Amino acid sequence: MTVSEERVQAIRHRLKEVQSLPTLPPIVSKLNRMVEDEEVTAEQLGRVIEKDQVLTSKLLKMVNSSFFGFPQRISTVSNAIVLLGFNVIKTLIVTSSIFEVMQESDVGLWEHSLGCATAAGILARRRGVKNPEEISTAGLIHDLGKIVVRSELPEDYARVQDLVAARQVAMREAELEVLGVGHGEIGGWLARQWNLPDRLVRPIEAHHHPETAGEFRELAAIVHFADILVRAVGFGFGGDPWVPPLDHEAWERIKFGRSVAREILAELDDKLLELQDFTMEIQRIGED
Amino acid sequence: MQRISIAQAGPGMVTAKDVLAPDGRVLCGPGVTLTAEIIERLARSGVTVLTVEGRPVKVPGEKSLKERLRDLDARFARVKDDPVLVALMKLIAQHWIEEERGPARPAGGPTPAP
Repeated sequence: MTVSEERVQAIRHRLKEVQSLPTLPPIVSKLNRMVEDEEVTAEQLGRVIEKDQVLTSKLLKMVNSSFFGFPQRISTVSNAIVLLGFNVIKTLIVTSSIFEVMQESDVGLWEHSLGCATAAGILARRRGVKNPEEISTAGLIHDLGKIVVRSELPEDYARVQDLVAARQVAMREAELEVLGVGHGEIGGWLARQWNLPDRLVRPIEAHHHPETAGEFRELAAIVHFADILVRAVGFGFGGDPWVPPLDHEAWERIKFGRSVAREILAELDDKLLELQDFTMEIQRIGED
Repeated sequence: MQRISIAQAGPGMVTAKDVLAPDGRVLCGPGVTLTAEIIERLARSGVTVLTVEGRPVKVPGEKSLKERLRDLDARFARVKDDPVLVALMKLIAQHWIEEERGPARPAGGPTPAP
């Protein structure tokens, strides 16, 4: 049974409403307006964000977490903006409410997302990609589509899960059958709706078929392989237990040999250990 | 490599990474064999967690190496026809085995049974 084009359109239309569901904090539109003004400094942006103490404490936790891997502690929002760039900060603010949903409803997916961010950062830094933190961030939200389907289309989500369990198919295949569209694409729609930059949107939407990401093919390939790596070592849970197929064209773009792979695995191991502390800590923020 | 709480630290364990005070100061580097006295000093300086070589602390419910290798194999069940991914799987297995038993001899370490 294939799902008709109309159904995909209907889903798309429903998700258009999503903007009001995982609410876009009003602060984001204010920041967007400020950023359009060439004169605005990181200092001024930081001051606006710091008025919200809870958001600030979450933001600083995130920017100091091991997946960004800054050696020294970042203690102010304006420093975070200078070091990580406004795109990353904005993305973390926009998605912070979604992460809360994720932490409460699907710890496995949250850990998978953090792990993917970590692996993507390691790969991006090794390849000398400009702004590797943006690629970490793309890794962090690569499965945005899954969490949105879960919270906005719960019946469809249950059917997807049943299919995964009953027929032992990968989550992506089940999504295509039930929804007619995969989580990558859904995540891409949302990210676009939130005006996130293409450098983040395209790798999210193409993380299972990186060659479709146009000029962002290399970045999509990194997120694609980071997803594979973190599933391979068994950190977190991305909705089904299997390592997804490798896109060989993408692999040709970013491939490395065994000795580099060993270094990457060791570095990933290290960082994932630190992450476990971080996941425990971030869950405590709301409780303090 | 294992991350443990200071309460689990025991004499003879070897640090695998810098041990940090709460303010970020490095109190001791990697490769240091812990003694009762060092552990006492670290605890007094406010250290709560540290990373040590190997897996000296048994965590209840933690999987054995054998179980972890079996799970690894199961995760790769769908991609066994892909030489790149199979190579990745073998590297991960080797990495875990070395971590558990110390680096394998250069004559090629043991490989997990298929």
